[in-house]
Amino acid sequence: MMTVLQMFEWLEATPLGVLVRESAWGFPILVACHIMGIMLSVGTLVWFDLRLLGVSMTGVRASLMYRRLMPWMFTGFAIMFVSGFMLLAGFATNAYGNVYFRIKIIAMVLAAVNAVLYHRFTERRIVQWDDAPGPPTAARVAGLVSISVWMTVILAGRMMSYTMF
Amino acid sequence: MAAFFVWLEGTRAAIAVRDSLLLTGALSAVHLVGFTLTTGGALVANLNLLGVLFPGRPPLDVTRPASRGIAIGLTISALTGALLFAPRATVASVNGIFQVKMLLLAAAVLFHVFVHQRIARTAVSASMRRGTGAVGLLLWTGLALAGCAYILLE
Repeated sequence: MMTVLQMFEWLEATPLGVLVRESAWGFPILVACHIMGIMLSVGTLVWFDLRLLGVSMTGVRASLMYRRLMPWMFTGFAIMFVSGFMLLAGFATNAYGNVYFRIKIIAMVLAAVNAVLYHRFTERRIVQWDDAPGPPTAARVAGLVSISVWMTVILAGRMMSYTMF
Repeated sequence: MAAFFVWLEGTRAAIAVRDSLLLTGALSAVHLVGFTLTTGGALVANLNLLGVLFPGRPPLDVTRPASRGIAIGLTISALTGALLFAPRATVASVNGIFQVKMLLLAAAVLFHVFVHQRIARTAVSASMRRGTGAVGLLLWTGLALAGCAYILLE
């Protein structure tokens, strides 16, 4: 069975990894797509999180807010993940030893766990608090955790650029 | 102006940023967080004027909180941006991409304050509202692209 490092070495040696590393415009275009994806996804997600916290747009039903923002969030996440994976392919072994890369991955896992917990448990009872300006504690915690971990992802991701190369 | 930029580059803050890669990275990271808040607010406000988010609600219900988000994000970005600009003021001020970025920033902010907010609080035709949302989206997207270009091609 391959270790994570061996997997990253393999990934870096794939044609995709070589293309990202050696192409003159591949890297800047991918980074630009990655940043635009983050702005679209996290930039819109923050507004749903603020609604969960009960601090903004409290007159809009939480479920409606999610439904209307979801296509923009998911489009942004798709752009961010595809471009992020391609960037990782180009510089996987550099990223492997980078502390900010590890922080970023941990924060993304926490974001995923937080989203799953919210959708499996808190959202199931949304009819009870959908219209309420102040959502229940579980929803507020989900919003606060989401904002915190996604800000951590951005901070750690940007720090990678200054510490990896 | 050139003398001011030379003075700026010699300030303690500029030297501290220039001498520390980690400080530069941290400032750049916080700059991006601020800009994400700004673009998020701008997206929500302009998509709403376009009629794709909450068409049944008065536009000001969305524009008002979104404008607060834009203001908070811009404050964070401006403070960190000024510190990032200080050590490279002379070079950055004549950089074409940086100049485009600053022009788009001024245009996007002025358009939001003097046109978008006025349209959001006035009874205007749907096409006027959608047009305002489209122009706002173009300006903020252009600013984001110019920001990316400056980071990568500087």
